[in-house]
Amino acid sequence: MAEDLLRIEHLSVDYHVGAGTFRALTDVSLSMPAGRVVGIVGETGCGKSTLGHAIPRLLPQPPAQVRSGKVFFQGTDLLKLPKWRMPSVRGTGIGMIFQEPINSLNPAFRVGDQIAEAVQIRRLREHGRQPARKADVQGFDYSKREMPKAADVVTGPFVPPNLTETLKQRPPPISKDLQKEVLDFLHLVRINDPERIISLFPHELSGGMRQRIMIAMALSGKPSLLIADEPTSALDVTIQAQVLTLMKELMDEVSTSILFISHDLGVIAEMADDVGVMYAGHMVEFGPVAEIFESPRHPYTKSLIRSIPNKYKEDGVLPSLSGSVPNLSRLPNGCTFHPRCPMVRDVCRKDPEPPLTDLPPGPAGLVHRSACYFPEEVASLP
Amino acid sequence: MGRSRSDLVVFVAKRLVQLIPVLIGVIVITFFFTHIAVANPCVAWAGPKASPSAITACEHLYGLDKPLPVQFVNYLKGLVSGDWGYDPLYQVPVLTAIEQYFPATLELVLASIFLMVVVGIPLGVVAAASNGRIADHLVRIFYLSGWATPTYIAGAVLAIGVGSTLGISGGAFSTLSSPVRTLTHMSVVDALLAGNLSATGDALAHLILPATALAFINMGIATRMTRSSMLETLPLDFVKTARMKGLGEFVVLYKHALRNALITTTTVLGITAGTMVSGTVVVESIFRWPGMGLYAFSAITDYDFNGTIGVVIFFAIVVVVANLVADVLYGVLDPRVEWR
Amino acid sequence: MSTATVPARRVAELSSAPVPAPRPAAWRSNLILFWQILRANPLTLVGFILVVLVSVTAFLVVVVPLITKPLLGHALSILPYPALDAGAFPVTQAPSFAHPFGTDNAGADVFSNVLAALPTDLGIGFTVSGVSLVAGGLLGLVAGFWDKPGTLSGLISTTIMRLTDIFLSFPTLVLALAISATLGRGEYQSELAVLITWWPFYVRLTRGEVLAIKIQPYVIAARAAGVTETRILFRHVVRNLIEPLAVYFSMDVGTVIVTYSTIAYIGVGVPSSIPEWGNLMPGYQDLILTAPWTVWSVTAAIFVTVLGFSLLGDGLRDILDPRSRRIMATTASARGSTEK
Repeated sequence: MAEDLLRIEHLSVDYHVGAGTFRALTDVSLSMPAGRVVGIVGETGCGKSTLGHAIPRLLPQPPAQVRSGKVFFQGTDLLKLPKWRMPSVRGTGIGMIFQEPINSLNPAFRVGDQIAEAVQIRRLREHGRQPARKADVQGFDYSKREMPKAADVVTGPFVPPNLTETLKQRPPPISKDLQKEVLDFLHLVRINDPERIISLFPHELSGGMRQRIMIAMALSGKPSLLIADEPTSALDVTIQAQVLTLMKELMDEVSTSILFISHDLGVIAEMADDVGVMYAGHMVEFGPVAEIFESPRHPYTKSLIRSIPNKYKEDGVLPSLSGSVPNLSRLPNGCTFHPRCPMVRDVCRKDPEPPLTDLPPGPAGLVHRSACYFPEEVASLP
Repeated sequence: MGRSRSDLVVFVAKRLVQLIPVLIGVIVITFFFTHIAVANPCVAWAGPKASPSAITACEHLYGLDKPLPVQFVNYLKGLVSGDWGYDPLYQVPVLTAIEQYFPATLELVLASIFLMVVVGIPLGVVAAASNGRIADHLVRIFYLSGWATPTYIAGAVLAIGVGSTLGISGGAFSTLSSPVRTLTHMSVVDALLAGNLSATGDALAHLILPATALAFINMGIATRMTRSSMLETLPLDFVKTARMKGLGEFVVLYKHALRNALITTTTVLGITAGTMVSGTVVVESIFRWPGMGLYAFSAITDYDFNGTIGVVIFFAIVVVVANLVADVLYGVLDPRVEWR
Repeated sequence: MSTATVPARRVAELSSAPVPAPRPAAWRSNLILFWQILRANPLTLVGFILVVLVSVTAFLVVVVPLITKPLLGHALSILPYPALDAGAFPVTQAPSFAHPFGTDNAGADVFSNVLAALPTDLGIGFTVSGVSLVAGGLLGLVAGFWDKPGTLSGLISTTIMRLTDIFLSFPTLVLALAISATLGRGEYQSELAVLITWWPFYVRLTRGEVLAIKIQPYVIAARAAGVTETRILFRHVVRNLIEPLAVYFSMDVGTVIVTYSTIAYIGVGVPSSIPEWGNLMPGYQDLILTAPWTVWSVTAAIFVTVLGFSLLGDGLRDILDPRSRRIMATTASARGSTEK
C-alpha cells in the first residue's frame, strides 16, 4: 500500500501527577490511509483524547510525557520534529475540532477575525511570502486540490524564527478577498447570514453555531487530516444531530481524512469507515466499522455494543458492564481487561499483555485486529 | 446589547454620581481625624518661644478658635467654591499647590506604570509559559522580593546607593542643567517642548530611579497577577485552537492567551492605585521629586492642617478615579461585559 | 448556556483514579497531613520555618529578661548588647565575631538594634492584623449574612458597607500618616493609625465570602431541611470563612509591618528612642556606601519576616483549597510509599 497519511507506531504516553505516574496510552499503533474516516471509541478516561492531542503534540509537558513511539504524518515523524517546526504542520497539515465550543473559540476576538487568521496562515504558506492575489482565490470546494506533499509541509528551507519574521507572518487587517473567503467557509458550514455572524463575538452565538464556526475554522486551513475530538458531545441532542449531518455532508464535499473521536458508538457507526476501540490506554480492537459491529473480536467491544440502548430490546433491561476502568497508575498484569472479562483464563492474568494482532481477513478483505487471545470465542458470548 | 457607546456613557455617569456620597464621607473623616485629637498646630508653627498673643492671632487667622462644627462648615463652603484653604508654610492656596505639584507626580506614576506594564507583564507571561521550570522560579523570587522590600528601602538604596554613585542628584533636573521654562510641570515634557535635548536626557535620568523605586512593589503585583491568570488561561481550549491554526508560539502566547489574561490583570490597576499613591509620598521625599508626594510629606510632618486634608482628599479622589478607570478598562477588554 | 467543565482538570479525568478525600478526622491526623503537605511544598515549608523562627526569637527577646529578673536578681537578655546604645563601641565597624552585623554611626551594635526591634514590629503586625481580623470579620459577617433590604438589619448592613467603601477609597498609608501625625509620635498612636485604615479590607473580604457561601447548594439545602439560622451561621458560614481569612491574615502580618515601619521612617511614628526597623533606616541610609552592613541588616530583617509570612500565606492558599489539598495529599502519600 502507498504511504499512509498517518501512521502511529507503539505510542505510549504517561502523565506524571505528583509522584504518581498514569499510563494514559500504552503501545498504541494505528495506520490511516488518506481519504478515510477513522473512529476512535472508548469510555471516559480510556486515552482516546490523549491520542488525539498527542498527534499534533498538544499535550502539556509536564505533566504529559511521551515515553516511546513514533507518529508519522505524511512520512515525517512528528515527535522528532523540533518544537518550533510544529506550527508549520498544524493548520494546513492537521486541523482539529475540540469538544466544547464554549471554550474552543477565543472570547476576546470577533468570529470573522478568528477564521480570517486561519485563512491567512494558509495563504501565506500556499503563496510563500507573496500576498495572495485575487486570481488565486478559489471556491471552497477543494476536493480537486492536490494533496500537499510531505516535503512541502515539513521539510521546507530552514528559516530561523526571529521577530521580523513573526511580524511579517502577522495577518494584515482583514482585506476584501480575505473576507470573501471567510464568508465562503461560513456558507460551507450552512450559516445563512455570514455577513452578520463575522462581526459577532463567540459568546453571542449558540453552542451549535459555535461548533459550526469551529468546523469552518478548522477546514479553512484545508488540512489533510482533521482530528475531531468529541465534536458533538457537549451539544444538545437536536443540535448534535444537525452538526453530525453537516459533518457527514462535508465529508462528501471536501476530501479531508478524519480521525473521529467519540465515546458514542452510535455516532461512530454513523461517521466512520474504520473503528479503533480503546480501553485503559490500549487499542484493543481495530477494524472496518461493519465488521466491528456485526462480529466484534474483543470481549470489551462486545460488551460496549451490548450496552447501546436499543428499542428492539424488549425485555427492558439494559445490560451494563460490571466494574470500572482500572486505575491507570496501577494497571493489572496481563490483559488490562481481564478483571472485567466474562471469558477470562489464566493466561490473561499473566504478563505480557496480549498484542494487537491481525485476524484472518473478513469478507471485505480489510484489516481487522484484536488484542484478545481468544478472538473466535467472542462471538459465543451472550 | 448593553455595549454601545451611550451605554458606556450612562455607566460612567452613574458611577460618578455614586462617588459623591463616598467623597463626602472621605471629607468628613479626614477633617475630623485631623482636628479632634490634635495638639494645637499654631504652637508648632509659632515655635517654642512664641508669645501667647502670637498663638492666639494665629488661631484666629486660621479659624481654629471657632467650634469644630463651624470650622467644618466653613471648610466645606470653601471646598465647594474652590478654596481648599491657605497653606501657611508654602504661602499659597492649597489648590494652587496641588495644581502645581500634581503633574510631576502624574509623570512619575505614568513612568512607573510603564515599567510595570513593560517589565512586569512579560515576566508574568514568561513565568507561566515555563511553569515549574527554572525561569518560573526566578520570576517568583523576583516578585516575592518586590513584595518583601518596603518602598523606603528600595528608594533609599536607589537614591543614595545607585544615584550618588552614578552622580544623579535628587529632584527633577540636575542643578547644573540649564533651566527649562515650566509649562506642564512634567520635567520630560517641558524639556521636550523647549526642544532642549540635553535637558530631556537629564530629566529622563532623574526620572528613572524614582520610577523604578515606585514600580518595584507594584511590578511584583503585576507579575504575580499576570502569571496566575496566564496559568488559568493556557490550558483552555482556545489556546489549543490557536496553536492548531498553525500560529507560532509567540503569537499564541502574546496575542491569544495574554489578551484574555489581561482582563483579570486590569484589576491590578485598582489595587495598585492605592499603593502607588502612598508610595509617591515615600519615594518623592527620598528623591526630592517636586510632586504631590513631597508636598504631602512636608504638609504631614509640619502639621499643616489645610495641606494635609487637601492632600488626603485629593489622593482619595485619585484612587477612586483609578478604580473607575480599571472598571472601564475591564469592560473594554472583555467583550462579554455589559455596561450596567 | 451550560456550564463548562474545567479543562485544567482534564488530567484527573484522564487518570480516572479514585482519589480518596481526606476525611475530617482527629486533630492528630490533620497535623500529620499538614506536615506531609509542608514537605511536599518546599517554599511553604521555608515560609513556615521563617515564621516560627522569627516568632520564637521575638518571644525570647521579650520573655528572657522578664523571667530572669525575679530569678537571678538581674535581667539577662538574648541581645548581645543593649540596643541603641550610642557610643558603646567605635563607630561604623565592619561585621566581625564580636559584632556580626557591625556597628553603626552612633557606635551601637547593629545586630542588637535589629533584634531589639523584632518584637515591636512583629507584635504590631500581629496586633493590627488580629484586631482588624476580628473587628472587620464580624462587621463583614453581619453585613453579609443579614443583608435583606428593607429591614433594620439590612439598613445596618448597608451602613457598614458604605462606611467600608469610604475607608477603602483612602490610600492606606497617606491616611495612616495623617492620623499618626495628628495623634503625635508614639508607639500606640501610630498603631491606632494603621488600625483605623486596616479593618475595611477584612469587611470587604468577609462579606464577599459570606455572600458566596450563602448561595451554595448545601446552605440552601440545609435551610430547606429546616436547619435554624444560627446553626447555618456557625456550621456552614463561619466554618467556611476560616480558610480565606487565615490565608489573608498570614499574608497581612507582613504588610502591616511594612506600613508601620514606613510611618516611623517618614518620622511621624514611633519615637526614635524605641528600636524599630523603619526608625533605624533614616540614620543608616546615608551609610549605604560607607557602611553598607547597616542598611543590609535592616533590609534583611524586614525581608525575611515579610517573605516568611507571604510564603506561608501563599502556601496556605493551596493547602486550604480542598481540591488542591486532595491532590497534594495523594502526592505526599505516594511519595511516602515510594520511599519505603
